[in-house]
Amino acid sequence: MSIALSTDLPLWAGILAGLLLVGGLAMVSWELALHRRRAIIVASTALAATLLLTLAVLRPLRVQAKYTTVGPRVLVLVDRSLSMALSGDGDQRSRVANHVVGELRRTHSAARWSIHGFGSGAAFSWDESNDTAPDQPSSDLLSAFAALSESSEEKPSAVVIVSDGRLDRPPEGVSEQQIRSALSSWNMPIHTVAVASTDMSDASIRDVRTAGVSVAHQPFRLTVTVACTGRLVCENIPLTVLELVEEGAPVVLASGTVRLERGIGTVELPITLDRAGSRVVRVSIRAPEGDELPANDQRILTFNVTRDRVRILHIAGRPTYDTRAMRQWLKADGSLDVVAFFILRSLSDDVNATPDELALIRFPVDELFSEHLSSFDAVVLQDFDALSYGLTPYLSNLSDYVNKGGGLVMVGGLHGFSAGNYAGTPLETVLPVRLPKEEHGIDTAPFVPRMTVAGRETPVLEAVRALYGDRLPQMSGTNLLDEARDGAVVLWEHPTLTTTRGKPMPVLALGEHGNGRVVALSVDGTHRLAFSEMASQMAGRGYGALWDALLGWLMRDPRYEPARVELLSPCLAGRATPVRIHRVPGLQGEVQARLVALGSQKALPDLVGSKSTDRSFTAELPALDAGGYALRLQIGKGASTRFDFACEQGGDEWADPRPDVTRLQTIAKASAGSFVGAKDVSKLTFPQSTPVATERQESPLLPAWVWSLAAAMALGIHWIARRWSGLS
Amino acid sequence: MGDEGAFHPRVLIVGEARFEGARTTAPARWSWELTRRTSAPARLAPTTVRADSPTLLEEPFVWWLGSTDVGALSSREITGLRAFFALGGVLFVDDSDPTTGVFERSAKRELARVLPDTNPVPLGAEHVVFRSFYLLHKPVGRLSGLDHLDAIMRNGQAQVLFSSHDLAGALAQDRHGMPSFRVTPDGDLQREMAIRLAVNVAMFVLCSNYKDDQVHAPILMRRRARDR
Repeated sequence: MSIALSTDLPLWAGILAGLLLVGGLAMVSWELALHRRRAIIVASTALAATLLLTLAVLRPLRVQAKYTTVGPRVLVLVDRSLSMALSGDGDQRSRVANHVVGELRRTHSAARWSIHGFGSGAAFSWDESNDTAPDQPSSDLLSAFAALSESSEEKPSAVVIVSDGRLDRPPEGVSEQQIRSALSSWNMPIHTVAVASTDMSDASIRDVRTAGVSVAHQPFRLTVTVACTGRLVCENIPLTVLELVEEGAPVVLASGTVRLERGIGTVELPITLDRAGSRVVRVSIRAPEGDELPANDQRILTFNVTRDRVRILHIAGRPTYDTRAMRQWLKADGSLDVVAFFILRSLSDDVNATPDELALIRFPVDELFSEHLSSFDAVVLQDFDALSYGLTPYLSNLSDYVNKGGGLVMVGGLHGFSAGNYAGTPLETVLPVRLPKEEHGIDTAPFVPRMTVAGRETPVLEAVRALYGDRLPQMSGTNLLDEARDGAVVLWEHPTLTTTRGKPMPVLALGEHGNGRVVALSVDGTHRLAFSEMASQMAGRGYGALWDALLGWLMRDPRYEPARVELLSPCLAGRATPVRIHRVPGLQGEVQARLVALGSQKALPDLVGSKSTDRSFTAELPALDAGGYALRLQIGKGASTRFDFACEQGGDEWADPRPDVTRLQTIAKASAGSFVGAKDVSKLTFPQSTPVATERQESPLLPAWVWSLAAAMALGIHWIARRWSGLS
Repeated sequence: MGDEGAFHPRVLIVGEARFEGARTTAPARWSWELTRRTSAPARLAPTTVRADSPTLLEEPFVWWLGSTDVGALSSREITGLRAFFALGGVLFVDDSDPTTGVFERSAKRELARVLPDTNPVPLGAEHVVFRSFYLLHKPVGRLSGLDHLDAIMRNGQAQVLFSSHDLAGALAQDRHGMPSFRVTPDGDLQREMAIRLAVNVAMFVLCSNYKDDQVHAPILMRRRARDR
C-alpha cells in the first residue's frame, strides 16, 4: 500500500498549495520574531492550521496495487527457403528448425515468442506446428528485418534466426561491420541457430551466367560453374546445353567438360539462339556416383532473346508492283536485314543475250534452304511456284524451320498456294489454312476483302484500321483457300467465296505451328495500300501499317500480342505458381489458356481461374514437373499469344546446398548475440522478466469535508491563540 | 491475279498534247519485249493517263515522251504529279527529238515546278538501272545520245529518269512488225541495246534497287570488271 495525492488536481493547484504552506509558515516566523509572548502556542497552532489547510486542498489518497512478472518478447525468424528442404543435421533442415523452435519454447517458457518465417520478401507469421514444406524461392533476411522494423508491435528484447546460413541477403562473405550497418535499428542481441553444419555429397551446377543480353543469331558466352561437395570426388564432369522446343527432341546448343580443382570448376561455352522471345535452355551435367541430390545436376533457364536486326529472306516468283511494294517497305526499315531473291527469268524466257551480258545470278535454292535457313527470322514467299523453281524438295526443311520457331509469310499471286504447287506438301501442314487440290486454284473475280470480328479486335490490324476503318482496297482476284486450321485466326475473308464446309473463304489468316508463326495472304493486291488513289489519302502509310504489324506479330512483338503474361513467382516443380494475365483493352471474350510441355504433346491440367473476362487477372499454374512449358492464350476467337517459361526443382536455392555456418556466426557476433548449433539451443540466454502492475485501487484517507472542517477549526484555534497572546 | 501488279508503260498526257504517230506502238513493244525476255508480267495493251487524272495514282510508272515544248503544266497537273511522286512513283522522260532537246528542256523546266527543291543529276553506268537485268555500259535509243541518263533523286531513289536517246523511236514498229525508225549509228545492235535499256528501266521500276543488294553486288561487280 502507498499514499498519493488526489489525482483530480492540476499541477498548478498542487504548486499553489505548496507555496501557501511555505508562505504561511514564513509569515508566522516573521511575526514571532517581532512578538515573542506565547510564541510557542501561536507557532504550533499556525503550523497546524497551515498544514491542515494544505491537506484540505491536496486530499491525500490511499493506493493499493498488485504486480506480476512479464517474460521478454523474443522474435524468432525461421528460414523457409527451399534450401531448408535439404538434409541437415540428422534430419531435413526445416524439421530441425521446427525442433529448434519447440525447444526454445520449452526451455524458455517465460519468454513471449513471436515466430515468423522469412523468404523472398517480408517476414510472415509462421507456426512450427504447421508442418508444410518450405517453399520460398530465396532467403532474404534483410528484407524480413526491414519489414519488421516498420511494424507497430512491441520491439523484441532479442532475436533468434534459425537457418542453414545459405542466404541471399546478407550475401556470402559479408563482414561484421556491414551486418551492423544493415541492422543498425535492431539494437538488441541477434542469436543464430544453425540447422545444418555438414556438406552433402553433391555435384551441382552452382551458377550459369551470360555476359550482356542474348541476341538472336549472335553467339554469346554461357559461363557455367560446377562444384562438388562432401565426400564426392570430381575431376572432369561432362556438360550439355540444350534448347527445349515445343515439338521434337531438344536442340543441342553446346557440350563440353568442366575440369574441377578443389571442388569447383568453370567452363565457357558459346551458344547461339536463333529465335527471339522467351527461350528455354537446359544445362545439365553427368554427376559421378554418390551424388545425393540429382535435382541440381541441371538448370532449366528462360532466356529473353532480343533481336539486333530481324533477318528476312524475301523470295518472289516474279517482279510485280506487289513485289516492288514489299521490297520498298522491307528496305525502308533500318531494323530489317533483308536478303532477297526474285526470279527475274524463267527457262522459257528468251533473253537474247549471253550469260555474261546478264546481271543475273542462279537462284541458290539448295544453299538457302539447306544451310542458311535457320539464320533467318522470317521467310516471305511471294507469288512463288515451288515446283518450277526447285523449292519442292526443300519444303520439309521449311516446315521444320517453322516448327523450330521461324516465321513464314505466304503471299498469293498467280504462283501462290495451290497454284504454286504447295497443296499436299509438308509446307501445307504449317499454313493456317488448308489448300484445295485444284491445280489452278485461282479466282479472278475482283472483290473487296471483308474484315472479320477477329480482324476488328486484333491489335495486328489496329494501325491499318485507324487509317481506313474497315475499308480495304479492291483486289483483282484471289488464290483459293480452304478451311482455317484449328487455332488459326482469320482476319480478312472473302465476301462471296466459301470453303468446302460453306464458311467464308479466308483471305488473311494467322496461325502458329510448333514454335513458329505463319501468315497466309491469298491476294497480291495489298500494294494498293502503298500506291493507289485510296493510298494517297493516307500518304501511302496503309501498307506499312499492315505489314509492320504482320511482321511484328510474326516476330512476337509485344505490341501485337493480345495478352501479356508474367509469373508472379519463379515456377518451382511441384508447386502451383501464380501468373498475372493482362489482356489488350477492347478484346472481347474469355481467355482460353492451354498449357503444353515443351518437347511433348502431353496434356496438362488447366490453369485455375484463367477463364476470365477481366482486363487483368491472376490465375494459377498447376503444380508441374521440372521442364520447359509453353502457355498459349487465346482471347475469345481472336489472335493467340504464347509465353514460354522454365520450371525448376529447387532452382537457385539448391544450386549450392552447403550450409553456411560462418555467415550465421558473423551475424550473431555483429549484434552481440550468440551462435549455437541446433542441439545447443537451450544454451541461449534472454533478458530477465520484468514486473508489471496488473491492479491498482485508490481510496481517500479522509473524506474531503473532514479535511476542510479540521482546517477551519485549526484556523479558529490559531485566531484565539493570537488574540490571547496579544496579536491582532 | 491476272495482270495485277504487271508492268504498265502508261504514257503521260499533259495539256492539249495527244499521243499519236508512229511511236504509239512503242509501249506495247516495251511490254512485249519485257514478257518475252523476263519473268515480269506486263500489260500488253498499255494505255495513256492524264497528269490531272486520279488514275495517275493507280500505278507507280508513267512514260512521258514528246518532241516539242510541253507547255506550262496546270495547277491540277502539278498537284497530280506531286501526289504521284509523293507515293514513290517513277517517271521516265523520253525525248523523241534529242537533236533539238526542246522537249527535255521544257520537261525539266516544268518538273522543277512540280519538285522545286530538286535538280537532275547524271546517272553513270554504276547505277542499278544499268544492271537491273542486262549489264549495260551506257544508254542508247534511236540515237546514241549522251552516255548517261539524268535523274531526279528523292530519298535516295531515282524518281525521274531523263533519256535523250528517243527510246520510243527504237521500240516503235509498224503494223507488219518492222521498225518504224532507223537507229543510228549502230543499227540493229543499237536497237537491241535500246530494248535492253527498256527492259532494265522496267526491272528498275519493279524491283527498285534489288541488284544493289549485298548478295548480288560482289558477283556483278566481278563480272563487270572482267568484261572491261
